[in-house]
Amino acid sequence: MSDITVSPAPAGSPPVNPFQGRRPGRRWISRAFAGLSILATLMALAVLFVVLWYIGGRGIEYMTTAFFTNLPLQTPEGMRNCIIGTVILVMLSSVLGVPLGMLCGIYLAEYARKGWFTYAARLVIDLLAGTPTILLGVIAWQLVVVPMHHQSGWSGALALAFIMVPIIARATEEMLRLVPHAHREASAGLGASHAQTLFRVILPAAKAGISTGIMLAIARVAGETAPLLFTALGNDQAVYDPNQPYPSLTLKIWQYSQSAEASWRHQAWTGVLALVSLVLIFTAAVRFTVREKK
Amino acid sequence: MSGIEFSRPAYSEPAEPGVIYAPQSGWRKWLDRLVYIAALGGVLFSMAILLTIFAVLVHGSWQALGRIGLHFFTTQAWNPVPGRDKYGVLAFVYGTGVTTFLALLFGVPLSIGVAVFITRLAPRWMAGPVSFLVELLAAIPSIAYGLWGCFVMSPWLQNYLEPVIYHVLRHIKIIPVGKYPSGNIEFFPANLVRGGPSGSDFLAGGLILTIMILPIITAITRDVLRQFPQELEQGAYGLGATWWQTTRLALVYCKAGIFGAVMLGMARAIGETMAVIMVIGNTDSISASLFAGGQTMSGVLANEFMEADHPIYLSAMFYVALVLMLSSLLTNVIARAMLSRISAGRDKR
Repeated sequence: MSDITVSPAPAGSPPVNPFQGRRPGRRWISRAFAGLSILATLMALAVLFVVLWYIGGRGIEYMTTAFFTNLPLQTPEGMRNCIIGTVILVMLSSVLGVPLGMLCGIYLAEYARKGWFTYAARLVIDLLAGTPTILLGVIAWQLVVVPMHHQSGWSGALALAFIMVPIIARATEEMLRLVPHAHREASAGLGASHAQTLFRVILPAAKAGISTGIMLAIARVAGETAPLLFTALGNDQAVYDPNQPYPSLTLKIWQYSQSAEASWRHQAWTGVLALVSLVLIFTAAVRFTVREKK
Repeated sequence: MSGIEFSRPAYSEPAEPGVIYAPQSGWRKWLDRLVYIAALGGVLFSMAILLTIFAVLVHGSWQALGRIGLHFFTTQAWNPVPGRDKYGVLAFVYGTGVTTFLALLFGVPLSIGVAVFITRLAPRWMAGPVSFLVELLAAIPSIAYGLWGCFVMSPWLQNYLEPVIYHVLRHIKIIPVGKYPSGNIEFFPANLVRGGPSGSDFLAGGLILTIMILPIITAITRDVLRQFPQELEQGAYGLGATWWQTTRLALVYCKAGIFGAVMLGMARAIGETMAVIMVIGNTDSISASLFAGGQTMSGVLANEFMEADHPIYLSAMFYVALVLMLSSLLTNVIARAMLSRISAGRDKR
């Protein structure tokens, strides 16, 4: 790396151009690395294309109307309860995860000052975001399943809520910081209190950005499997009582993918297509609406 | 100080740089305090979650910590039959380590290549869409990668790629940790590829993780590279530097941030569960061969946690969870230190 150091040459010595001389063929080297960079991009895009191609292709190939209308143990089999279960589970987890994440974000953007507490708060949010999701399943198992003596929708929702908190907290903080400082000053100048400014000025201005963050967090937890393994457990019946083991699309896909029966594997492919299209449409729609706002 | 009072209560400080709100009275004052307390409560609750994670993991693994202790890390024997009860995490640490290493080996050059393309090569109209598409890789759920890996990638590896790899690498030996009846660690040279290609092995685990860490490392490296100062870039071009010489300058300039991005990708690879257990073969063996099946720490949790039917077995599972938590924590802390140094530098400019 020494040949591209940009520190000034010592006084008295003639100026040296670090980029020229001593390097025959450097233009060809440059072109070769540009080619490698393009190749890397093409490979990444090819992987995306291949994965989506197979998910789309096999999913559509095995798709039936029964998939959306029937239960797993009926013939022909379907995953109706699992789709509904995933949606309800995500809504339940949002009830805890969204307000908690937003409160953390509001604190960090509006109230935090330099000091050990703010440092600790940020560290905690970062570490929560980096915790392997299966461990959050273990925690929810210990906190909810063990006292209840059986798996339940509540425990799954709790694990998912833990995953949502750091994502929403970061999004909220970032979006609140984007609101121009002059807005706060103008509001304060009119005699508003801090809370009034927050509710009437800052949050409305950051509304689009925060809802984007929330939608992305929802898309993310809708696709989670590992934290639900010991908590929601899955259910073949149309049971939507959170006190019972809960049906979930991802759990059903996992269960069917492990089976040797062809029709179940086909169901798994269709399930993945349903899940991926749900998540991707959500993500893409959010990205594009936000881009237009800018 | 003519009549101006600071509205902030003793426990509140304004955001920096501070906005001074007018003094309030009555319900407004109480609303102010309520909002502040709620926000603070949210932060404290999050801190409590993290502390709870540690408390639960340590409490759960207490029995195993006492009975097995550090011996957990020196044996790979894993026999949960009641009465036998041999627990060693070594095979799972090895599995996590090898798959993560392979993922970084393939993923880091690839991600940096993509990030360089987006920031320094692509025309403006192309950079946005390419960025978006690569980030889309992060939105696909891990169960979807798992299913694809299990039914598409593994057969392809087994039939096409691995036979080729076998012929190229068959004479290469490396020094691995051995597997012995005593259960103790031994070192000896072994082939890098051995046995028939199965498609469900360390290589498959590494490849699926490569795909999953690619969007993370790419996105952060891209953001970091965007901070490379224009003056340096133009100065380099002015001295006659080629595109690659300038890019190297940018990569060296941003090396701390790129290292942070790599560590974040590594943390993701360590914690990933579903996609890996669907392709790695799920055997608790330690083998130097890329074609051998293995198991990761998160994988053994996913597969066996629910089967842990007696106390010491369950406690050993919690011990595995604790080790997983600590390793992921360590990587995250390093990543954070690297990336915050970058943003601190940006603020100074």
